[in-house]
Amino acid sequence: MLKTRIIPCLDVVKNKVVKGVNFKNIKVMGNAVEMAKFYSGAGADELCMLDINASYQNRKTFIKTVESIAKVINIPLTVGGGVSDLSDITNLLNAGADKVSINSAAVKNPNLVKKASLVHGSQCIVVAIDAKRFQGNFRVVIKGGRELTPKKLVDWALYVQKIGAGEILLTSMDTDGVQKGFDAEMLRSITSKLTIPVIASGGVGKLEHFYKGHQTRATGLLAASVFHSGKYTIKKVKRFLDKKGVPVRL
Amino acid sequence: MKKKIIGLVDGQSGNIGSIKKAITDIIKDKPYQLKIIKSQFDPYQFSKIILPGQGAYATLIANLKKLKIYNSLKLYLGNNFPYLGICVGMQILSDVGYEDKTTKGLGVIHGEIKKFEKKNLIIPHMGWNSLKVKKDDKILTTTFNEKDFYFVHSYIYEKVKASAVLATTKYGKNFPSVVNKGNIYGVQFHPEKSHKNGLKFIKNFILN
Repeated sequence: MLKTRIIPCLDVVKNKVVKGVNFKNIKVMGNAVEMAKFYSGAGADELCMLDINASYQNRKTFIKTVESIAKVINIPLTVGGGVSDLSDITNLLNAGADKVSINSAAVKNPNLVKKASLVHGSQCIVVAIDAKRFQGNFRVVIKGGRELTPKKLVDWALYVQKIGAGEILLTSMDTDGVQKGFDAEMLRSITSKLTIPVIASGGVGKLEHFYKGHQTRATGLLAASVFHSGKYTIKKVKRFLDKKGVPVRL
Repeated sequence: MKKKIIGLVDGQSGNIGSIKKAITDIIKDKPYQLKIIKSQFDPYQFSKIILPGQGAYATLIANLKKLKIYNSLKLYLGNNFPYLGICVGMQILSDVGYEDKTTKGLGVIHGEIKKFEKKNLIIPHMGWNSLKVKKDDKILTTTFNEKDFYFVHSYIYEKVKASAVLATTKYGKNFPSVVNKGNIYGVQFHPEKSHKNGLKFIKNFILN
């Protein structure tokens, strides 16, 4: 039976895992390579790392960090943040990423998703979607939630599936960082329509939230702070889900 | 002592970094050396060959032909020399693949590669899933029974003789996740991404 994936997410600047996306009070949580190695050994089913400050200068160090991480883990690695063209994708795959996630660039240039999946295969192209409630709909937002687009979430998700996305990583801006649980309503709005896997992101604060996330038919559950802060270990989350009858890799 | 040569085929079908690293770690301090195969090769030179593949069946076959690896590999497999095909590297052992277009395969382990067909099944089959080991084998020992491996694929091996199936995995239905004939093995999962169990499997293939 297919197991529900538990995926720690590392927000990275250069080679450090950070917390706090508003750039004023970034708190360093640890060294990215060491943390990745730790999670791989601790039972993570996959790792996600995002370059949250993908400036030209930081990018070189970030790519080197991807290379170093790929060398020390033997679970799948999804890398995103600042991916704007085909060469970014190729560079990250060459650095050892198994999947690359495209966010704002996909909205600005959907053709990138199409081209990337033709060149590298759908299985390594993740489209990351940030969305929030607006005027009675779920709408796609870009630039880390700062810019609202006219795109409706469900239409956009179905569209990227059609043009070659292999997976969708959905973050609800309404629940992200609030630690009150995944946005079940938003997740269900797309899992009920899509045929590709969906990773749920944004909002985990309690063990129960992982279970509720699983019930939305998301096959991957992503979390950051509950793991980085040491509140829960991956094993603890998995044992909890196992007891609830959710298939997990123990 | 002469070192045995492990060949790793770079069919330009996805990144070979992880599998290269896995092999390097396994053969460290052992009488083996790793050679990357990028063009035609002498089939008698290698004691083992591993071919990882991602992406489409048709693309991998076309790449192997373009790089002139195809004929050498045919000769190698015709001699029943040890081979491990990973994901699409497994699928091309079949007679024919139907991904994108109909493509003739290597025809080593009879069968066809077809898309998962079931309503409401999330495709690709992506994530960790377990093996049901059918018989004890020197490489796929029964210790791997019920162990989880990482899968990413939308196509499966169909119409395979039961005797060629070493393990099955359930997703929508039971499909062959490990196939074998003589010294030739194919695995649908990615052992190089499957943490300890995956490394143990690669180790078994290389050292046995």
